[in-house]
Amino acid sequence: MIREGSIHIPFTYAAGRAASRFLVVLRDEGRILGSPCPACRRVLCPARSFCPRCGEETGEPVVVDPAGTVVSFTETAAGVFGLVRPDGADTAMLHRLLPAGAKWTIGARVRARLLPERTGSITDIEGFEPLEATEDHA
Amino acid sequence: MRRVAIIGTGQTRHARCRDDASQPELVREAAAAALADAELRPADIDAVLLSNMELFEGRAFPELWAGEGAFACGKPCMKVATGGTSGTSACIAAFHQVASGLFDTALVVGFEKHSEGHTQTGMALTDPFWDRAVASGALGNFALSISEYMTERGVTERQAALVAVKARTNAARNPHAHLKSPEVTVEEVLASRMLAHPVRLFDMCPQSDGACAMVVASEECARRACSRPAWVKATATRHEQPYLGDIDRRLCAMRTLRDASRAVYAAAGIIDPLAELDVAEIYEPVTYAELAWYEALGFCEDGGAGRLIEDGVTSMDGALPVNPSGGVLSTNPVGASGVIRVAEAALQIHGRGGARQVDGARLALATGYGVYAWADAVVLGAEP
Repeated sequence: MIREGSIHIPFTYAAGRAASRFLVVLRDEGRILGSPCPACRRVLCPARSFCPRCGEETGEPVVVDPAGTVVSFTETAAGVFGLVRPDGADTAMLHRLLPAGAKWTIGARVRARLLPERTGSITDIEGFEPLEATEDHA
Repeated sequence: MRRVAIIGTGQTRHARCRDDASQPELVREAAAAALADAELRPADIDAVLLSNMELFEGRAFPELWAGEGAFACGKPCMKVATGGTSGTSACIAAFHQVASGLFDTALVVGFEKHSEGHTQTGMALTDPFWDRAVASGALGNFALSISEYMTERGVTERQAALVAVKARTNAARNPHAHLKSPEVTVEEVLASRMLAHPVRLFDMCPQSDGACAMVVASEECARRACSRPAWVKATATRHEQPYLGDIDRRLCAMRTLRDASRAVYAAAGIIDPLAELDVAEIYEPVTYAELAWYEALGFCEDGGAGRLIEDGVTSMDGALPVNPSGGVLSTNPVGASGVIRVAEAALQIHGRGGARQVDGARLALATGYGVYAWADAVVLGAEP
C-alpha cells in the first residue's frame, strides 16, 4: 500500500539586525553593505551581525564596491552561478552570473546589476555581469 | 575514558526505492542485522543513537518512527543531526557515551528513505535570505566550488571519471550497494549527461533508500562478545561557517577535514597515513570530492590527487584502498551514509568484508562530510 500526498509550508523569517540593514540599503540606495570584524579585520559581505569565525560582534557596516571578482562558478540548466568577491570585501557572495551564455573564467571582473524596482531581497541584484559590458553602457 | 569498540554491524539492501518496507521496518532490518552480527539481543542494548535528515522523508520527527524500529522504546534514545555528517557524528556520540562509562552498549542506526519525500526540496530549504533566493541544492553548491579546485590543482575531468569507475566497480563486490556497474568505463562517465558543470550524472552520488546500524561496546563487553573488535582509536569533528561565500577556497583548503584528520592521526600515532592506513572509507558525494579529500587527508601533497587515482594507489589492489564498499557514489541513504562509512571500516577490521575485504586490514579511517564543509574523522584499529 502506497499513500500519496504533498505538503505546502509557508514561512516568515526574521532577517535580523545586519541583514535587515543590508536589504533595506540595497532596496533604498542600491548599495551593497559589508560588516567589518573587529577581531580578524575581514569585511564580511553580505553584512553580518557577528563574525562566524571569531564570534565577535561586527562594527558599523561599510559600503563595498558593486564591482568584484569571480572566485568560482558552475554552469547549470538553470543558469550560471558564481561566487563573487566584491572589491572591499573579504568574503564572496553567491549569485547569478549574467549572461548565462558568456564564456566565464575564474578571476573574471564583474559588476552587480541592480533591478530598477527593488523589494529588499538579495534578488534585487539580478546578478553579476562582465565589467566591460557595464562600462560600455556607462 | 574507557576503551570502546564496534562489535557488530548491519545494513539493509540499499536501492532507489524500498517500498517493500515502511520507515521503521527498514530501520529494524539494519538494527536486527547489527544485533545478530554482535550476537546480542535488543535487551542487551543500553542506549540508542539515531541519524537521519529532516524534511527528506516529508515527515516531522522521523526519529520517533526510527526509534521504534531501532528497539529504542524504554531506552535512552536521541537523534544526532549534523547534515551529511549526521551518521559519523552519531557514531562518535555513541563512542563518547560508552567511553564515558555512562553506558556499556549503544546501538547506532542511520536511515533515509529518499523515495518517500522530495530530497531536492528539502536540500533547497537552506538560508532563506542568501541561498534559497538565489540558488540551492546539493548539486549546485558542490559544483560551484569545483571550478576553483580544478583550476588551482590542475585536476581533469578524466581523473574524476576514474574515481567514478573505481566506485562503481568496487560496489559490484558489495551485496548491499545501490549502484553496481562493474563494466562502466571512463568514456561512459565522460559521455554521461552534464548536470552542473563539470559534474556529470556518473560523477554524482545517487539518492538511496537504506539503513545501517552498529553495536558499540565497552572494552569488557567487547572482549566478552567479539573475537575481533574494531577498536575506536580516535575521533574528531569540525564545524564550518554556513555561508558558502565565507568558506575560503572551500575544496582546495577543506579546512575542516584537514584539521579533523590531523587531529585523529595525532591521537592514533599516525605519521604517514598513506603508508600506515590499510583502508579508508571516505564520504565522497561527488567524484571531485574524493580527489580533494585525498589532499585534505594527507594521502598526497596538494595537487597530487589526480596522479594518485591514475596510478591506482587507492584501488582495491593499491597501497591504500579507498571505499572498497563503492562509497557514497554508489550508495547514499544520507542519514545512513556516515554510519555506513564507519561500519564498512569496522567490517574491514572484523575481517568480514567478503568480496570487498582488504587482506589483513588492521588500521582503518572513516570520514564524514556534511552540508557545506562539516567534517568528521574516525580511526579504527585491530588493537585498542
